[in-house]
Amino acid sequence: MDLKEKLIILADSAKYDASCSSSGSSRKEGKLGNTAVAGICHSFAADGRCISLLKILLTNCCIYDCKYCPNRRTNNIKRATFTKEEICEITINFYRRNYIEGLFISSGIIKNPDYTMNLMIEAISLLRSKYHFGGYIHAKAIPGASEYLLKKLGNLVDRLSANVELPTDEGLKLLAPNKDNRKVDKIMDYVHKNRTNKFVPAGQSTQMIIGATKETDLEIMSKSSTMYNKHELKRVFYSAYIPVNKDKLLPTLQTPPLLRENRLYQADWLLRYYNFKVEDILDEKNPNFNLLLDPKASWALKHLNEFPKEINSCSFNDLLKIPGIGVTSAKRIISSRKYFKITFNDLKKMGIVLKRAKYFITCNNKYFTDSTFFNKNIIERNLILEDKVKKESNIEQLALF
Amino acid sequence: MKKSNYIYLYDNDFISLLSLIKILITKKVIPCNIKPNTYTPSLFEETFKEQISENEIIIKEIIDATSFYILNTMYKIFLSEHNDKEIIIYYFFVHALKYQNKIYYMRNLKSVTEALKIEKFVEHETHKFKGFLRFKELKGGILYATIEPDNNIILFLSKHFKQRLQNEFWIIEDKKRQLISIYDKNNFYITSSECFNILDKELSEAEEDIENLWKNFYKTIAIKERTNYRCRMNFMPKKYWKYIIEMSDKNENSY
Ligand code: SF4
Repeated sequence: MDLKEKLIILADSAKYDASCSSSGSSRKEGKLGNTAVAGICHSFAADGRCISLLKILLTNCCIYDCKYCPNRRTNNIKRATFTKEEICEITINFYRRNYIEGLFISSGIIKNPDYTMNLMIEAISLLRSKYHFGGYIHAKAIPGASEYLLKKLGNLVDRLSANVELPTDEGLKLLAPNKDNRKVDKIMDYVHKNRTNKFVPAGQSTQMIIGATKETDLEIMSKSSTMYNKHELKRVFYSAYIPVNKDKLLPTLQTPPLLRENRLYQADWLLRYYNFKVEDILDEKNPNFNLLLDPKASWALKHLNEFPKEINSCSFNDLLKIPGIGVTSAKRIISSRKYFKITFNDLKKMGIVLKRAKYFITCNNKYFTDSTFFNKNIIERNLILEDKVKKESNIEQLALF
Repeated sequence: MKKSNYIYLYDNDFISLLSLIKILITKKVIPCNIKPNTYTPSLFEETFKEQISENEIIIKEIIDATSFYILNTMYKIFLSEHNDKEIIIYYFFVHALKYQNKIYYMRNLKSVTEALKIEKFVEHETHKFKGFLRFKELKGGILYATIEPDNNIILFLSKHFKQRLQNEFWIIEDKKRQLISIYDKNNFYITSSECFNILDKELSEAEEDIENLWKNFYKTIAIKERTNYRCRMNFMPKKYWKYIIEMSDKNENSY
């Protein structure tokens, strides 16, 4: 099999992993390459996702049989395995030409977890030592591998992570009976406890598949929230389930649940940057997001009595609660209003998008229009209308990657 | 301050512009406009050239009067192709003298908003090109990239690649401005590409294969069920495609 065919097979099997970021590390050793704190996208694929890393599996052979996975043992597909030299050569050649920020490597499991992870370590060691590669590396730890190997791998890479894949234990039992959430938990624990600026400097992330099992959004977000708190994850990625296999245990979907995935990302941002808690946006009575409205707008409409907020006096935290106002805008408002009284016109000049925000704010006690329009039904209708226009132009969908 | 009817001319480099601005401010003149001396005035316009003694000391003077950040902002605006960038820099500096670093929050002033918008545009484009620039390997292992950015960002890109590809020989050519940056594993030099014409751009033996590998990777990594050309276009507008090798293929280009 030639290198091209191998690369196609092993990129194809890796493409369902949603993680793409190359940020959070500033590696300066190594003769070839460095990492950028802000992360750099080198290209965008036909699905609109950012390409920043050479995303491959070491091998797509696997002794397990997870129902949702294209590489499961019982699938009759072409199998391939990279040699460590091949991995190094492709990475270096792509990196020198500025196609990529670095390498993302995961793997199917051959023989046993330790054996597989050792192969990964050998390839990455070679890349760092012989090729002096100083670019970004994100490796997926193999659940069940020994701590000794985790330690070794963590010292070589920028990010080391393990995928939860399914949000609940029941889901995992159903679709990935060989997997055990405790093993993933153990990896996260280990990485979290030992993290330094030499060991996994860019931290860890994880991924959950959305819509393959019956979890509610509340269960998913609670899981995320627990992981953010307990293991200080940098990111949780949500990956809309795409049916690659036929199995009576799997749902049949016409299209992947992309809108739901988007809502989860929006909610995830609310948790991480906007001081929201899961119970603010979801509860047992409403365990799923409203697909028509983003979670922040839904929240604001439910708490309309707390609005409109006065731009010139409300707190930073209150600014963050306003639909359409992001962290940058909130900071800009706080620092500007020390020097002048902000009007609607000023907000525009400051580059703050008012499309959504205008319904929820006053500037110097003035509403943007007749205040009788400050009414739940009217606002809701207008927001949904706007979203429709936006959805048609599809800008929003992946803005969060 | 008195408003002048003249368009003031400078030598089309940053130092000369700063020197002129300083003279104007000392003389308390608000120029009608400021243009490089290659500018051809219309019938109703009058130009004027001040006697400028160009001197790098001006840089220090500007920093002393304001700050390094403000100088930096002015420089980035200068590297844009904005039609009125000189007069925008003039007004920005006049405000900066008064407000100092607070100026970055004074977005209610039109000239400040405008200036910061242009600065952002230059920074944004620089960031994009750190990703979108593509090197090709020439015979002998030299890496060669061609770009045609909207702004004159070759300096920022050179600084970036000096760190990233410190052990490679590389060349970046800005076709639009006939500028070329040459890195010799030690330092980079930016000069006019007319003085430094590379005749032999023959590609290395491996180049075609590697490009092929990359194009195949690019095609494979997209998830068919999630195809979204519009989203891709938003992040990677067509104007950049010419030198992005995975996009310059005919079949990709047809979308
Ligand atoms: S262990 Fe990983 S590669 Fe193997 S079948 Fe399960 S998900 Fe797929």
